[in-house]
Amino acid sequence: MRLSHITKSFGANKAVDDVTLEFKPGEIVGLVGENGAGKTTLMSIAAGELAPDEGTIEDRTEVGIVHQHFLLVNEFTIAENLALSMWGRDPAEVIRDSGIDLRGFHRRVADLSVGEKSKLELIKAIAGHPRFLILDEPTSVLAPAEARELFDVMRRLAADGVTVVFISHKIPEVLEVATRIVVMRRGRIIVDGGAMSAEQLAEAMVERFHAETRGRGEKRSSSAPPRLRVKSLEVHRGEIVSIIGVAGNGQSELAANLRDTLRGHVAHIPEDRARDGLIAEMTIAENIALAEPHWNPRAAARRAAELIERFDIRAQSPLQRAGSLSGGNQQKVILARELERRPEIIVAAEPTRGLDIEATRFIHDELRAAAARGAAILLITSDLDEAFTLGDAIHVIYRGTLSPRLTPGEAASEAPRLMAGIGSRESGVGA
Amino acid sequence: MREGLVRRLRLPTPDSRLPIAVLAAALSIALLALSGIAFGHSPRELLSILISGSVGSNFALQGTLLKSIPLLLTGLSVAIAFRAGVWNIGGEGQFLAGALGAFLAARYGMIAAIAASLLAGAIWASIASAMRLWRNAPEVLTTILLNFIAIHLLGYAVNGPLQEASGKYPQSDAIPIAAMLPTIGDLHAGIILAIVAAIAAWFLLYRTAEGLRLRASGFNRSAAKWAGINVDAQLVRAMAISGAMAGLAGGIELLGVTHRLFERFAAGYGYAGIAVALLAQLHPLGTLASAFFFGALTTGAGELQRTAGISSTVATFGQAIVILVMIVFTRRRFGQTR
Repeated sequence: MRLSHITKSFGANKAVDDVTLEFKPGEIVGLVGENGAGKTTLMSIAAGELAPDEGTIEDRTEVGIVHQHFLLVNEFTIAENLALSMWGRDPAEVIRDSGIDLRGFHRRVADLSVGEKSKLELIKAIAGHPRFLILDEPTSVLAPAEARELFDVMRRLAADGVTVVFISHKIPEVLEVATRIVVMRRGRIIVDGGAMSAEQLAEAMVERFHAETRGRGEKRSSSAPPRLRVKSLEVHRGEIVSIIGVAGNGQSELAANLRDTLRGHVAHIPEDRARDGLIAEMTIAENIALAEPHWNPRAAARRAAELIERFDIRAQSPLQRAGSLSGGNQQKVILARELERRPEIIVAAEPTRGLDIEATRFIHDELRAAAARGAAILLITSDLDEAFTLGDAIHVIYRGTLSPRLTPGEAASEAPRLMAGIGSRESGVGA
Repeated sequence: MREGLVRRLRLPTPDSRLPIAVLAAALSIALLALSGIAFGHSPRELLSILISGSVGSNFALQGTLLKSIPLLLTGLSVAIAFRAGVWNIGGEGQFLAGALGAFLAARYGMIAAIAASLLAGAIWASIASAMRLWRNAPEVLTTILLNFIAIHLLGYAVNGPLQEASGKYPQSDAIPIAAMLPTIGDLHAGIILAIVAAIAAWFLLYRTAEGLRLRASGFNRSAAKWAGINVDAQLVRAMAISGAMAGLAGGIELLGVTHRLFERFAAGYGYAGIAVALLAQLHPLGTLASAFFFGALTTGAGELQRTAGISSTVATFGQAIVILVMIVFTRRRFGQTR
């Protein structure tokens, strides 16, 4: 199968950007990249579930796909679920043919373990004897032994000439099972090759010190959220501490946890601006006054007008609906609201994601100014450039655990490995 | 829902649209009039009966206002809850709880009875918010189920412990005269309470910081949380105030109109409050006009029954049309459960 010049956009966000890939029978391709890199979208196109905006697919073969999220009817038994996709075949025989060990096909899916559910999905996918099998983060819910079992099945299928594509962001697994590794970043293929070291792979996955364009869409997919295992975290007055890591390693959980537990003069800049940033239906003035002790429409409008001026927010009036502002201006409204409270602590999650250079610079300046005033700032970001330019100290977060506090110098050399979870020097701070 | 009425009142709320409300009201009247053809009357004739029967005379107008009082309060009840994003469909039950509370406290005088109706309505509604907080039970379901419990509780009361001394009908004795609301012609002092409640609700929602936070929680729970608002507290408060308003409606109906409890006491006022609030686009002051409209529809429909022999349940038909039009033509996200 050959994909040529595939492009697919969702709104303004190019999920897949001019990708050309050729697959050979019998290879196990590890498709890796951060959340939102375009892996799942590309494979949905290969499977024929999504139509590309541009590009062609040649020599399309029969494709089996195991989605990241189970597509099973919980109230049905294993046999009934199999019957849904292959009516008339004997479920016992289907399971035996697959070579996968799954017993008791009269059990309801609701009663199965996640490992068993994923086995059932795999059986469904290979029952049609596909020549091309896509597994979308199959190991995210599996125990190590179950993952081993899955790898055996993958190798056996590959030996029979099936092309197996294995989407993952777990580097050690990919290195173990894949015969070829393809790294995607922002919809493009960055690396396509065979043997790689873990460090090389980790560096390829996250953008190191060259953030090309800052525009990045929202995450499309996410695996099971990691358990947060941060016990303590120190940020001094007047300093900015950056937390970096591959997206989906507990950053969102950390921010939400701090929102619910920190008391006092704390400002929060939420990661998901569209959902959590502003009340779209309310005016700028109302949004700014949300956390104020008093509300007086006229005073609030005056105050909002001042802040619009000071933060250079492109708005016609303080009574304009917040939802009608552009993303960058919405972020400035959030910043105005949060920083004007003279907070002692600021937790900023992805404060400049998707913003243009001018807005980004403005927000960076405001954060620096807040630190200069004596605020303690925690910056959670996937933009390494931002993390290093602003951060006085850096922690790497990996699977919910924080690395020890690193100086920017130390982080520059150690961050790639720590982000990949290799040789992780887990500190007393972490697990 | 934005601009329009609100802009003229110079409120900084970009979420109301007057034309939709006028359209909904006009459409329901037009369809009612047209339906007259089915009964062998001309739409024109029906329309004139509807109008003369509701606002055509001093007598009719007083009847309309009388009906508007409970509608105004149950409408406010729904508007406050919906503004906070809480789908309180339990106006009917809270109305009954309020009436029951007022009846039990009536022996201590009018003020005590009114206070009891507020409290009982708030408590009845708070059962639903307690279940929401503890077990995440959706209030759309719990409030409606609490309605049935309240209806049967009242049924039991007027057939049992609270039945009149003569034991003849399934109804209570009349409340003491001292507890009855003073009257103004055919009207009672409840109209003043209801109007005061509407103004107070407006003040709460649009002129206090708590109201701002309540509305913010209703629009977007998640963003409200990130802005530092305790959204659970907003839910509990909105539900209690909403229940108190519906309870007051029940109390006033008892103290000002019926003076005794009986089965079917609520007579749909709680549910009608949903139509009132939606037509008012969840604005407390809009509710004044909207309650009057539905009050007129009810008395007008009564006149239709008397003179044209058309069942007065057509008023319910009108309410349903209004609800449908408002849901279809407004952009508020009904059914959001964030």
